Amino acid sequence: MGAYPWGAPFRFRTLRRVMPLVLLIGAFGFVRWTKGTAFADIYAFVSRPFWPGSSQREWVQISAQLEQQIKLNLLEQDNQRLRRLLSLDKKSGSDRISAPVISRTTKGWWQKLELGKGGMNGITPGDAVMGPGGLIGRINSVTPTTARVMLLTAPGSQIGVWAERTKRHGMLMGVGTSRPQMIFLDNDPNVRPGDVVSTSPASTLVPPNVPVGVVESLDEKVWPTPHAIVQLIASPEAIDWVQIQIQR
Amino acid sequence: MRNLHQRSICWVSAFVVILFELASPSFITISGVSPSWSVLWLLPFSLVAGPFFGAFAGLCFGLVLDGLSLSYFTQVPAFVILGWWWGNLGRRSTSIERSWSLGLLAWIGTGFVGLTFLFQINLTSFEVPGALLNAWALNTLLVQAMLTGLLAPLISTWLLTVWRRGSFISLGQNSKGFMK
Repeated sequence: MGAYPWGAPFRFRTLRRVMPLVLLIGAFGFVRWTKGTAFADIYAFVSRPFWPGSSQREWVQISAQLEQQIKLNLLEQDNQRLRRLLSLDKKSGSDRISAPVISRTTKGWWQKLELGKGGMNGITPGDAVMGPGGLIGRINSVTPTTARVMLLTAPGSQIGVWAERTKRHGMLMGVGTSRPQMIFLDNDPNVRPGDVVSTSPASTLVPPNVPVGVVESLDEKVWPTPHAIVQLIASPEAIDWVQIQIQR
Repeated sequence: MRNLHQRSICWVSAFVVILFELASPSFITISGVSPSWSVLWLLPFSLVAGPFFGAFAGLCFGLVLDGLSLSYFTQVPAFVILGWWWGNLGRRSTSIERSWSLGLLAWIGTGFVGLTFLFQINLTSFEVPGALLNAWALNTLLVQAMLTGLLAPLISTWLLTVWRRGSFISLGQNSKGFMK
């Protein structure tokens, strides 16, 4: 007798023959249910020596940065267009140039930097000077080949800033120490230590929304408006090159 | 004196002092504050040159330093007064050549320049609470005066020795002040 007829009685031998097929189907079903986790992990383990090296990873990272930069430029252009519509475009057309720091006095009576580029490179008094991380000061005077920067820490330095989180405006004033003071225009600034301070969007002296520092402490009892001590993001003591946002 | 300002060491040293003021070398600082290089030069010059040329040199230095700084304070009055005062001291007493005397004069002079800054800061006030500004200014004043006072026995003594020798020779005297 070759094959079992379907109506034949159940036998243990039949179960032994069918069971491998059932288990196999069950295993594949498990793989399907787990979306091939085991296969993927095994493949990753086996193929690890052949994974792309760090150069390819850096290439991908550079591409991602480029994409972010393009997005940023587009947003910047959009922002300039909107500011122009709001008649806040006095600083809209601008370029950045790099300049070496040839002398620095960050303590003492004068808080200033001397830069190795000047009027011949298009730098004019009032231009904003940026270090790694944010604004550090403004051009105070210019010679054909050098420029003098008044740091934000210098007494007499005043720029309009705001606390980004609460959108409260204030004046950042240099007091000679390494931490300038922010004087709020409101009685209730609703600012706490750690809040980021950037240049005011309404400022016509410096580019808008450039990071400046972080609120270190707040004194709300000062009359007539609260004051905050701001820790600058870009440290002038350790900067060898700066970027100057020149006006076209 | 006529011979003093004709000597190249006078002009070269003045030029070097201006370069030092501009460069503010970080290896000669205390907590970031540099000495007053101009005071270190003006003190021996005024002692040798007398009150008029001392005040004139002070005026010149003050104008140059005002040009090199951020121009919200002026240093001219302080340097003119110091040049005049030190010039008178040099005329009255030729014995001001000891390290202690020069150090003390430099310390007083730098403190005086700092006090004029402090006065101008409080005058302008920059709409900032005075306590913060005064704390920073006092710190700068004391540190700069101390550093300048410490360096004066080295630098000013050397310049004074060089210039006195040249000045006496030009006046027909020997180095002890007697006529030949």
